Amino acid sequence: MTRRARAALAASVAGGLVLTGLTATSVTAGAATTGASITIGSAVAPPSLDPTSNASAAIDEVFDYNVYQHLVQLDPKGAVVPVLATAYTVSPNGLTYTFDIRQGVKFSNGDPLTASDVVFSLERADAPKSTYPYAGLVSGITSVTAPTASTVVVKLSAPDNQFLYNLAAYSNGVVLDPSAVGSIATAPVGTGPYEYTSQTTNYDVVLSANPTYWGGAPKLSTVTFRYFSSPEAENSALKSGQIDVIDNLPNPSDVSQFKGNSSFKIVSGPTAGKIQMTINNTAGPLKNVLVREAINYATDKAAILQTAGAGYGTVIGSDNVPGEPWYLPSLDNPYPYSVSMAKKLLKEAGYPNGFSVTLTLPPYGYATSAGPLLQAELDAVGIKTTIKDVAFPLWISSVFLKSDFQLTIINHVEARDQGNYANCSYYWKYKDCAEVAKLLNAAQKATTTAEEISRYQGILKKITAAAVNDWLFNPDQLTIAKSDVVGIPGGISESFDLSHLSIGGSLSSSAKSEGYAS
Amino acid sequence: MIAFIARRIGIVIVSLLGASIAVFTVLNLLPGSPAQVILGQQATPQAIKQLTAQLGLNKPVWRQYVDWIGGLSHGSFGLSYISHQPIGSQISQALTVTGPVILFAMAVGIVIALPLGLFGALRNGKLTGTLAGVISQIGIAIPVVVGGLLLVIVFAVETHVFPSSGFPGWSQPFQALRSLVLPSVTLGVVEGAVLSRYVRASVLDQLRSDYLRTARAKGLKTRQALWRHGLRNAMIPLVTVVGLELASLVVGAIVVENVFELPGIGSLLLNAVNNRDLLTVQDIAMLVAATVLVLNLLVDVSYRLLDPRLRNTA
Repeated sequence: MTRRARAALAASVAGGLVLTGLTATSVTAGAATTGASITIGSAVAPPSLDPTSNASAAIDEVFDYNVYQHLVQLDPKGAVVPVLATAYTVSPNGLTYTFDIRQGVKFSNGDPLTASDVVFSLERADAPKSTYPYAGLVSGITSVTAPTASTVVVKLSAPDNQFLYNLAAYSNGVVLDPSAVGSIATAPVGTGPYEYTSQTTNYDVVLSANPTYWGGAPKLSTVTFRYFSSPEAENSALKSGQIDVIDNLPNPSDVSQFKGNSSFKIVSGPTAGKIQMTINNTAGPLKNVLVREAINYATDKAAILQTAGAGYGTVIGSDNVPGEPWYLPSLDNPYPYSVSMAKKLLKEAGYPNGFSVTLTLPPYGYATSAGPLLQAELDAVGIKTTIKDVAFPLWISSVFLKSDFQLTIINHVEARDQGNYANCSYYWKYKDCAEVAKLLNAAQKATTTAEEISRYQGILKKITAAAVNDWLFNPDQLTIAKSDVVGIPGGISESFDLSHLSIGGSLSSSAKSEGYAS
Repeated sequence: MIAFIARRIGIVIVSLLGASIAVFTVLNLLPGSPAQVILGQQATPQAIKQLTAQLGLNKPVWRQYVDWIGGLSHGSFGLSYISHQPIGSQISQALTVTGPVILFAMAVGIVIALPLGLFGALRNGKLTGTLAGVISQIGIAIPVVVGGLLLVIVFAVETHVFPSSGFPGWSQPFQALRSLVLPSVTLGVVEGAVLSRYVRASVLDQLRSDYLRTARAKGLKTRQALWRHGLRNAMIPLVTVVGLELASLVVGAIVVENVFELPGIGSLLLNAVNNRDLLTVQDIAMLVAATVLVLNLLVDVSYRLLDPRLRNTA
């Protein structure tokens, strides 16, 4: 459930963050089948075609980077690279960003891309009446102007060293054609390598090569995303040849069905997801930091990674995954698995005989498979755990919006989401949120990278010491494909980046080094 | 007859109004704000307020109801909260899958039920007749999901005669029909088992009736008497049952579409519920209610055509 999620919010609680880049100038070497078609299987159909109206990662999977492009996007290593901008500069005080707009770019309807289209798009995201799901991230913009036909200047009210990253990673950054935006819900128009062709609601979305693409002819003539509500049906569709790729295998343990079979290739790549047992910091005994530490000690994270992630992933001990600039390996297992330590802390906290809790599980494979294991582990230290399964909308309304829960398991997929610990109304109700908000503000205004990193690490250390949550593991994303499919986007991506995908042929070395699988 | 039909149509309209109030009330009590689900976890309170206003969900509840019913009465299903696309065209796209599945399933059901039920009635009390009853019991007892998976294993995974799931669209008519065979048979077998019980009971009723005894006394064999006099009468209750069962097949189709991954009304409804696309859910619920009521109306009318005794009663 990293790249897409069943409902819109899952997309953001459980959706992934775009880290797969698109470098349109790198070309594939070798002979790919030209004009080929491909069908990609996926679990969740996009609830809408408009990424600016809905947080669902299923929309970004299809449309972001493929149909719509940004001024800057992320490469697979998470670095910000210029795409519809050819270059950008930041003023020394960090308040003014100047973008050079790429010339000769056309939208798929033939309209040329102009600097004023970029102004229109950014202002649309930041407008007072904006309903962009991530509008909050661009609220620091005070003005967007186009002083010349080929430059756009963005002014911020305060320095924000995450501004470019957010522009690259979130739908706030998509560049739209003002003359086509009226029909954005039914006829998406962008500058990307593929254009929207058709949709059967909840069943498939068809894209085709954009003939006017500025980066050269795309390698596939048609790309179909097909959606399966049952993972079994998706697996058999790949085996029987109905589809060519399974994007983000829903049940990691199903990988055994394809392992060792030369007809298929398995691509695993890291994600920004944090599968965690969230602790309500205001619920009875869970208020006590000693109890939360005991819960962390009682958890055998390596075993949970084996069960819920088939071993694909990394054990984590904070809101901290490999790949983030401030990643601290020393925080990976600060509370090593120890039943006796957990019992000792419970006794110290005044619960020598334990207590009872309810573990609320949303209907995702990782949660329902990790749940019973965590239940047994907590029972073993005296915390009597009852499992309650809920549908996702109910999880949203009771757990997420009303904090009506004690423990729950969820994948927080957004990269660099430490800001959640600074949000006092966020569902885990962390006591020291206001203090983290101050630390975060200082970290965002840091003008050197070293300062930025050390300030962020300070936040990580603080939340880990407070055992705010029981962080479990950072899952890998598994893509299964027929062995002749080349250029599968590795890395962390909400977009299934099609820029290098082909049937047959070989990848350029630059695409390989960016993380696309050959 | 005309007064009868007019009165029945009046009842249909009143029932639909009642159903619309019930559907609207229940869905508006569901937890989960559509705007929050749409915009996700990082949405600002202003954006949620703005979207709620855009969707018209900040209006008084009675106003939302009147707007919805007003639209429906003009044949407008409205725009989906989530996809911002017309719900009417999504529903009609889905009906091109669900409609054929239901009709094919009913056809399969009738083809199974008539011989099985007749056989069971004629052999009533004998071992073979009991066997026919047992077969229909088994058919009723097997859940649609299990039956569907068994068919998939035999005809899709092992022999590749039919596709295991999916629907290529009517632009490829042959492939489209092929992909509807297993879902229709899955649903139809259960339907056949259910209907055969009614066929058997209805035929037995006629066999025990006075007029058939008279016919036999005049020298006709049981089978001849049934064929010449009894069948038409036996079919009258069956028309009712087939009509009502068509409505229940709509529900069965939701399950079957899920098993076979078909883009029909069932998957539209399930996804709309999950995404809190309340308007779509309301529209589909009303459509199903209207279908059931209209089928009932047709059943009542056809009853009168089949049974002359009822024609002059009100």
